[in-house]
Amino acid sequence: MSHQPVAVVGIGQTHHKKRRADVSIAGLVREAAQRALEDADMDWGDIDAVVLGKAPDLFEGVMKPEMYLADALGANGKPMFRVHTAGSVGGSTGIVGSHLVSSGRHKRVLSVAWEKQSEGNAQFALGGGKSGSIGAGGAFAPFIRAYIRRSGAPEDIGWKVAVKDRLNGAKNPYAHLKLADITIEKVKESPMMWDPLHFLESCPSSDGACAVVFTDEAGGKAAAKPPAWVLATAMKSEPSTFAGRDAVNPKAAHACSDEIYKQIGVTNPREQIDCAELYVPFSWYEPMWLEAHDIAAPGEGWKMTDSGATALDGDFPVNMSGGVLSSNPIGASGLLRFSEAALQVRGLAGEHQVPGAKLAIAQAYGANAQFYAMWAVGSSLDPLGS
Amino acid sequence: MTDTSIADPSNDMEPFNLQFPFTRTLGNTLSTFFSAVAQGQLIGVKVGGRVIAPPLEYDPETGADAGSEWVKVGPRGTVSAWTYVPEPTHLHPVQGPFAFAFVTLDGADTPMIHVVEAPEDQLRSGLRVEARFKEGDEVNGRIDDFVFVPATDPSPSEGAGEPYQAPAEPEIQTMDAYCDLTYVDNAAPVTRVWTQALLEGKLVGRTCPQCGRTFVGAVSLCCVDAIELDESTQSEMPQTGVVTNFTVITPVPYPGQKETEPFVRCSVMLDGTDAVLGQQTIVGIPASEVRVGMHVALEWEPEGQRDVSEIGNGGHGSTGGAVVGWKPTGEPDEPAENYVDRMM
Ligand SMILES: [Zn+2]
Repeated sequence: MSHQPVAVVGIGQTHHKKRRADVSIAGLVREAAQRALEDADMDWGDIDAVVLGKAPDLFEGVMKPEMYLADALGANGKPMFRVHTAGSVGGSTGIVGSHLVSSGRHKRVLSVAWEKQSEGNAQFALGGGKSGSIGAGGAFAPFIRAYIRRSGAPEDIGWKVAVKDRLNGAKNPYAHLKLADITIEKVKESPMMWDPLHFLESCPSSDGACAVVFTDEAGGKAAAKPPAWVLATAMKSEPSTFAGRDAVNPKAAHACSDEIYKQIGVTNPREQIDCAELYVPFSWYEPMWLEAHDIAAPGEGWKMTDSGATALDGDFPVNMSGGVLSSNPIGASGLLRFSEAALQVRGLAGEHQVPGAKLAIAQAYGANAQFYAMWAVGSSLDPLGS
Repeated sequence: MTDTSIADPSNDMEPFNLQFPFTRTLGNTLSTFFSAVAQGQLIGVKVGGRVIAPPLEYDPETGADAGSEWVKVGPRGTVSAWTYVPEPTHLHPVQGPFAFAFVTLDGADTPMIHVVEAPEDQLRSGLRVEARFKEGDEVNGRIDDFVFVPATDPSPSEGAGEPYQAPAEPEIQTMDAYCDLTYVDNAAPVTRVWTQALLEGKLVGRTCPQCGRTFVGAVSLCCVDAIELDESTQSEMPQTGVVTNFTVITPVPYPGQKETEPFVRCSVMLDGTDAVLGQQTIVGIPASEVRVGMHVALEWEPEGQRDVSEIGNGGHGSTGGAVVGWKPTGEPDEPAENYVDRMM
């Protein structure tokens, strides 16, 4: 690769909640950005360019919010970019920020992603304001039913993911849901929302933001705190609907992780990668992504969940932060995955730290399971020692 | 059927009115401002050596926190630029002729954009204006609690530039932002072909000459091969099929939502084809009994009562109000495992 190395030197996020009644939209994004700048030991004036991402504008009813937020994010007189790739947007926002540094164009770039779901109604927005919106749960439930039948997985796999991610979330001071007393029984008995998905197998609706500061090799090496090195990035997409499309195991998902693994020389993801943050808004997506990203063989992903391999103390921890199931400010959710992977390899993940994590991946997906964004981050530029 | 001109207004679809009562939380700075407005007081914030009014949470020059050094501004100010609105729509802040103008309030260093109610020939750069506040029940603590009118006394505002003591907990914490947008789509040629077929009680599809996939609905391209599918690729589709997958939706209430009870949306693979119609309605069976593998047949609304007005260009296989739904035929189910992966 001809690009220049990129370091993550600052990460910030808001306390995610059902409703952040104490802040405006500008206040929300600034809360995350200021924490990231503080983490990077930088000030607004140190930033060369700002990248802003969020899901559809109809979620809050503020059209083109990047214009309103430009000076709130210190972008006056600087380049300002808006990214939108549906649910994967947080990931894409991180990737675009990293590319502005890897291309050599800018030295220090701030990526910010956010959603303030409490200002509107996601079901309304996803249905374009028309009656009978099926929402994200309604769109993905058939894919999940197909996965369950295809893999022959027992029904409690989804419940186990729901419990595991919430227990992780209870260790994350920023998580929206902190359900330390959640049990399989509670998940199973929660109302059926989108058959076969129960209420507690679904993500919450959150207000929140996440911000990342990127810098070049010199900046990364001079940083006060350990940086995370961006080792690989990839984005893929595929059409929403066509005869024979495999929405359970989409080609674009495979292609995205393939490209990541090739860039860093990973041949056995489960062995070589220490942990992963995968976009799991509905419990069953954990085993689905483990298979789509070749961490497990086809039909075997659920066995990793079942055996506890994906738990915080398992051999391949997934969603150490609590994941989308614990916090879902939609536009920010992808960048939160990317940030958690970076926190892990920086050794700064606190109570949800995977000991000694050196190489982590993060993924976000969106729309009709058709847009993918992934990155791999390392504690050094060569974590596999190749 | 031949495609008629896209520009023909008779091909417009029914106007759609998008409405939603968004609710904004204000944060401390804007709460302080709007709470002051509710008391008939305009304020700014002192930051970076100047007074910004209305106040911002940050210095727009640098991004630094603006803090909370509040300053009284106005109620009189000076117009620096304007644009006149002689015929307001129902969405404008006032219903008579007015100007959107930059008004720099006395004591402030930055202009605010607001409404000036004055005859057009009175508007000029340098015009002195004063805020006229609503009173009593009309006060909401919103930006439209006041308008500017030509000042009866052009002299400097008393008290402008003096410190403002904010209450510890400002009373106004949220703001309603009502979205009201009406738009009219112009039906694409393929959408007109699809809706016309529905009115005639037919389903039509277009088959890609390259990959052989059939696309049913208002679709005129193969998204796999990225080639256009013209009317020569079109044929009539069967009206029976098998349910390949489904969702039972628990409806969330929102403005415009008509569904109140759990409802089913299913995918139907048309018999003898590889084409799947998504998000279809099932009738004649309780939601809890819908199964993968069930044989179904399309039940049409009576001729003359088929409503296609809500079918848009992005709706793919939407059958709108032309059909009642798909009804189980009672034939023995197909094995679910042969169909469950065919959601599309
Ligand atoms: Zn084709």
